[in-house]
Amino acid sequence: MSRQIPWISCHPTSISRRTVLRGLGATIALPLLDAMAPAVARAAQAVAGNSAASPAGTPRRLATFFLPNGMNMDHWLPSQTGEQFELPATLEPLGAFKDQITLLQGLALDNAKAKGDGPGDHARSCAAFLTGAHPHKTAGADIHLGISVDQLAAQQAGIETRLPSLELGMDKGGMAGECDSGYSCAYVSNISWRTPISPVPHEVNPAAVFARLFGSNEEDDTPEIRARRLRERKSILDAVSDDARSLGRRLGRGDQEKLDEFTTAIREVELRVERAMARKEVQPPDDAKRPAGTPEDFGEHMRLLCDMLVLAFRMDLTRVSTFMVGSDGNDRTYRWLGLSDGHHALSHHGNNPQKLEGVAKIDLFHAQQFAYFLQKMHEAKEGDGTLLDHSMILYGCGIGDGNRHNHDELPILLAGRGGGTITPGRQLRYSKGTPLCNLHLALLERMGVKADRFGDSTGALKNLKA
Amino acid sequence: MVEKKTVSTLIAWLLATTSALVLPWGAGARGAVPADARTTELDRRFTGNVRPFLQARCFACHGNGKHKGDVTLDAFKSFDSFKADRATWEDVQDVLKDGRMPPKKAEQPSADERARTLKWVGDALGYLDQTQPRDPGFVPIHRLNRAEYNNTIHDLVGVRFNPASDFPADDSGYGFDNIADVLSMSPLLAEKYLAAAEQVMEKAIVSGDPYRLRVARYDGDALKGNGSGTAERGRLLFTNGQVRATHAFVAPADYEIRVGAEADQAGPEPAKMTLRLDGKPLKTFEVTALRGSPQTCTFRVHVEPGERPIAAEFINDYYNNTAPDPKDRGDRNLYVDFIEVRGPIDAPPPGPSEIEKRLLFCGPADGPEGEKCAAQIARRFATRAFRHPPGDDDVARLVRIYAAARKEGEPFKKAGRLMLEAVLVSPQFLYRIEVDPADHPLVPHPLRDHELATRLSYFLWSSMPDEVLLDAAAAGKLHEPAALRAQVGRMLADPRSQAFVSNFAGQWLELRNLEGASPDPRRFPKFDRKLLGSMRHEGELFFGNVLHDHRSVMEMIESDYTFLDERLAKFYGIDGVQGTEFRKVTLSGEAAARRGGVLTMAGVMTVTAMPSRTSPPKRGKFILEQILGTPPPPPPPDVPALPNKGEKTSMTMRQRLEEHRGNPACASCHARIDPIGFALENFDAIGRWRDKEQTRTGEFPIDPSGTLPSGEAVDGAAGLRKVILAHREQFVRCLVEKVMTYALGRGPTASDRPYVNDICRKVHESDDRFDRVIEEIVVSDIFTSRRGKGN
Repeated sequence: MSRQIPWISCHPTSISRRTVLRGLGATIALPLLDAMAPAVARAAQAVAGNSAASPAGTPRRLATFFLPNGMNMDHWLPSQTGEQFELPATLEPLGAFKDQITLLQGLALDNAKAKGDGPGDHARSCAAFLTGAHPHKTAGADIHLGISVDQLAAQQAGIETRLPSLELGMDKGGMAGECDSGYSCAYVSNISWRTPISPVPHEVNPAAVFARLFGSNEEDDTPEIRARRLRERKSILDAVSDDARSLGRRLGRGDQEKLDEFTTAIREVELRVERAMARKEVQPPDDAKRPAGTPEDFGEHMRLLCDMLVLAFRMDLTRVSTFMVGSDGNDRTYRWLGLSDGHHALSHHGNNPQKLEGVAKIDLFHAQQFAYFLQKMHEAKEGDGTLLDHSMILYGCGIGDGNRHNHDELPILLAGRGGGTITPGRQLRYSKGTPLCNLHLALLERMGVKADRFGDSTGALKNLKA
Repeated sequence: MVEKKTVSTLIAWLLATTSALVLPWGAGARGAVPADARTTELDRRFTGNVRPFLQARCFACHGNGKHKGDVTLDAFKSFDSFKADRATWEDVQDVLKDGRMPPKKAEQPSADERARTLKWVGDALGYLDQTQPRDPGFVPIHRLNRAEYNNTIHDLVGVRFNPASDFPADDSGYGFDNIADVLSMSPLLAEKYLAAAEQVMEKAIVSGDPYRLRVARYDGDALKGNGSGTAERGRLLFTNGQVRATHAFVAPADYEIRVGAEADQAGPEPAKMTLRLDGKPLKTFEVTALRGSPQTCTFRVHVEPGERPIAAEFINDYYNNTAPDPKDRGDRNLYVDFIEVRGPIDAPPPGPSEIEKRLLFCGPADGPEGEKCAAQIARRFATRAFRHPPGDDDVARLVRIYAAARKEGEPFKKAGRLMLEAVLVSPQFLYRIEVDPADHPLVPHPLRDHELATRLSYFLWSSMPDEVLLDAAAAGKLHEPAALRAQVGRMLADPRSQAFVSNFAGQWLELRNLEGASPDPRRFPKFDRKLLGSMRHEGELFFGNVLHDHRSVMEMIESDYTFLDERLAKFYGIDGVQGTEFRKVTLSGEAAARRGGVLTMAGVMTVTAMPSRTSPPKRGKFILEQILGTPPPPPPPDVPALPNKGEKTSMTMRQRLEEHRGNPACASCHARIDPIGFALENFDAIGRWRDKEQTRTGEFPIDPSGTLPSGEAVDGAAGLRKVILAHREQFVRCLVEKVMTYALGRGPTASDRPYVNDICRKVHESDDRFDRVIEEIVVSDIFTSRRGKGN
């Protein structure tokens, strides 16, 4: 720690979020003004005519599965060219859903590159994956990134639902040591960012997710008890908001950013409470079981979290979600696959066939769990089709080959028909270096968020619909 | 109004950034040094000695238009230009000291030349330390992290159940998870705070009758134990065995235990089931019910409170398919469908708990009397929760919650409880807040006493101040150095200081990562969770001992003792330690050469290894970063892949790495990193001593020798310890900086340097005692003062 010179902040700070918030009074969603989030050129707004829903009126859902450390690309890429393809080895578990998958090739994450910031590709690939932004390099002070695509979508699609978005993940976090080459752990352990300075942490424990979805965690809770609790929460939150306002008058400017983060969080919870009070209570369906806790077994844990996500979508408790299968650089040991080296160690395979094989095994294992999720999404009938038909599920990495740490030619696929806006069952080859943000922009459009630009996008990704 | 504030802030900022600023206290104000004479002298030595040295030894790469590594030295023409960029000169000092510069391939200066330049740099930096205004830095409001939240709830309310274990993990920065800048807030966390506040207060102030009759049912899939879950409902016991449920009995009272059971009947008698509580048999039932038409076996028993296992045991398995009489053939199985507990039965409601009496110390009362009492309750609780007396508006706000609840018809107790819940979600509770004076927020100023008390208690206890500390703060005496030193002594002697041991040492030595360590069980069958627990325990006990026993920090590098239980002693090959209790063990002979200090502890060796093998670079990096404070730069991007050698190489680790170092992009850093790691190669990936390394083609003796860029030879663990002991100052400085990062909850900055220098000097004067490191940090202006931030 001897020689850390404080960084000169290089991001525009012409308008503080506080100023904006104050101007908007009670509006909860953080508006995106040009000076605040240059990544999005125009303020997010609803597209006229409820385009976030399919013709049948069922809402669209957006989910992202983020996978760490790149993939074994030999087993990911189909051998065919053209739109038709045979499933490559890693994707074989998805066989039953081949007609629901769009393989997207040639996409790149330019802002995960060093751009003069030196090493730290793992941190940057996590940070940039959904934000399209280049993280300000710091181990702590002045963290700055950008708002992520899911959170932007949630500002629009989340107004209707109990939770604007649901963040899930497999890593408990809390390990000691530095995170990645001078980047704070905040960049490595979060892909969702509510604002350029506020990451959205994820929930690991399926039981806690269930409790959040259905608002009950006591053995003898009754609807009356829950209704009373909501009223109590409302009165506490009112007082806390008032408390924060009065505290704000005493604090200096340097503290306002932190206090704003608190106030915004409290207001958002207040809004959720109000919504829960205003509408009929959602009961868990008969086939849904309250999980007992976090299973020891990794696969079981992941599938149980997938169950919770499907449940949330089915009951329309949220329409936007992210799922971090691991923070980038993660060195989890997949012992049950017969592997004794950690994932990150294997990903630096040095073209060693055994290590490459190990990476392929891990990729395959993840795909098997993903297949389970797709199966559940497929089984959930809704309106004129299935939940999967109405969804857009992004699955992939912010690194291509773990050995090279390249951020172009990313392994990315999209599952679901996006409520009839996507024609899956194809592989689409884009010119090398096409921004992943073009896909984000296309997804935003389909979620009813109108933006001209997102991150380094050059236009919404074409040809998703045949 | 906004404009006015902006203008005054701007003025303050200008004040803070101009050299005209005179600090009202502290070293900067002393001005005892005859500045003119000193600067003239330093300037003369610079022009006479130092500049010619730079010209001869450095300008080839760092001057005359060259800026290798972004360092340009020919811009420094006088002592004045030196003052403007001390950071560069601290780097120069470091690289000259440890021999990294001039590079080996260049012609080397004589020892005298080097020493003379170093002397000047030291003198010049020392002069700046004494004369320049100091900046204690800015720390934003500081959210409690998970450990701090749990401890604070315990000390504040008196309930211990770690509500924060379900909170999202706190991200870390600068190696620690208590960094104010990084501790963020999200709606998810806000929800958790709200739910935790409810749970905490429900436990503290029980509303309704906790002893009312309740029915708890444990169905087949909630039952543990033998048997399989193949039955559609319930658990199938096809051989003698039992299934269990653990129930929390709340009151000393009668309970009715009911078990739903059915059986496949065979043989001369019906299936028999013994009901057990706490392992003791209560009654044996004959289960005559056939599969498909279950019966319920009921037993009423008096139980004392506590978590107790209830078991249903199948005791007369029968299987015969060879008996001459077909009547005697068959298979007897027991199915347990559920275990149910009804109770407590007719238990009189308990009185208020001690905790409740303490929190709700007046009332119950109605009307204005009730509100008066509520205000008193709110004020007392908020004073402790906010760690300073609340404002009248704070109290009024809380009383409004009480009043609203009463209006809704809630009883006094419930309304009072709601008010206290609101305190636990207040930003004044969830954040540690330090308020800058309104007129000159950006000018360094001493903390208020209660703010200081809070810094101190979260530093040493990861929790809120206790009454003694709050009283000292209220008396306005705490900021006096003698009072602070006395508090540090008292607080370190308190068991709560274990929080510092486990949170600081757990992160500094990365012992926390043992939790996630997963050594390859095929290679390390000896490694299990129990051994892991012992490893962590050794590290914490040792660290705690150096702290509490007023030992020198150098014992962390070398000591003739450690702390072991039988398991770890055997693992280390040390005889004569029996039982699970840890004790101080004196190391002698071979054990003393191998172990002692923290570096060679099995825990540290394990967290710095890969799952299946050691990694000398990882260990080297750990020591450079955490022990010597000179982290190597991260590897350059786009390192070309090592040529494929196959997993089971016949090369030794040393040979493989030497090949890696053949690449010039890697060589210069790995020349610093690897020799340190090689010195520890006698410890395998779980920290066990070994003399030989296994490769595909056989065993090779380990060669733990090497040479550092400075020319110092390192030979094995003992040799490495000697080298680090010789760099005593560097280790102490590194440790001081780490402890300071943890204490302040912010990353280090260049302006910390003068404070660190002072602290290191004072620590040295007191025999390097670890408790003095803490004490000197606490009495330093960097800890007792702060400034605001302009934008």
